[in-house]
Amino acid sequence: MARMKFLCDSDRCIECNACVTACKNEHEVPWGINRRRVVTIGDGKPGERSISMACMHCTDAPCAAVCPVACFYGTEDGLVLHDKDLCIGCGYCFYACPFGAPQYPRVGNFGGRGKMDKCTYCAGGPQQDNSAVEYMQYGSNRIAEGKLPLCAEMCSTKALLAGDGEIIASIYKERVQQRGYGSGAWGWRTAYKEELPA
Amino acid sequence: MTEQNDPPPTARRRFFGALGLAAVAAPAAAFEVDGGTGGLPPARESEAEKRKARYRETDHVRAYYRTNRY
Repeated sequence: MARMKFLCDSDRCIECNACVTACKNEHEVPWGINRRRVVTIGDGKPGERSISMACMHCTDAPCAAVCPVACFYGTEDGLVLHDKDLCIGCGYCFYACPFGAPQYPRVGNFGGRGKMDKCTYCAGGPQQDNSAVEYMQYGSNRIAEGKLPLCAEMCSTKALLAGDGEIIASIYKERVQQRGYGSGAWGWRTAYKEELPA
Repeated sequence: MTEQNDPPPTARRRFFGALGLAAVAAPAAAFEVDGGTGGLPPARESEAEKRKARYRETDHVRAYYRTNRY
């Protein structure tokens, strides 16, 4: 059984934010919510690293563990999805998530958070696949169309990998074997005075 | 100065009036509050359906894996 995962190759990510834009456009994510974002460590300094982050669809998801209304459910291929009809917007999942994935539209009165929104791995929700209702609540369902998340498919440098965990791990392994440990990106020796180990 | 044989401007006003009405009515008709279910509750997947594996290794997905190895 395939286990769906995300893997971001930090040596390839150029912080272009195309994954963020693609996600927002594909799912018509409302203003103020980013299901995916790019985090840069050591920004502007030699050796800076960027990674694209979203819901990682954890094996033992802490968001699901703390949800008081049990709106989260896991699929057989390892996705962590949620039911917006059950969500009460309490915000516990936001505090529990180590990746800051759950987001809230904050459109209600009296400081209410509204229904939680997060990455669905482009797999929709508990509504009928590819129905208008599913699109309104969760965005498009590319997995049901036999595709993969658009963020990964749109990545220009192929830094963001998505799909069967074993396959994307083997792709990453091939890259590391080919370029060695550290970055094999052109210009690194000139710009950052870093030697690439053999 | 207006000549006596000019048509009255009411036809033009009716045209722009209709255009304005269409501009308001068309998006309202396209927007369906219930998500296009015709007022019925939306079809939901059963407990088994929503937990089933959704991933399929299609040609599209295989092409994605292949190009990522380049």
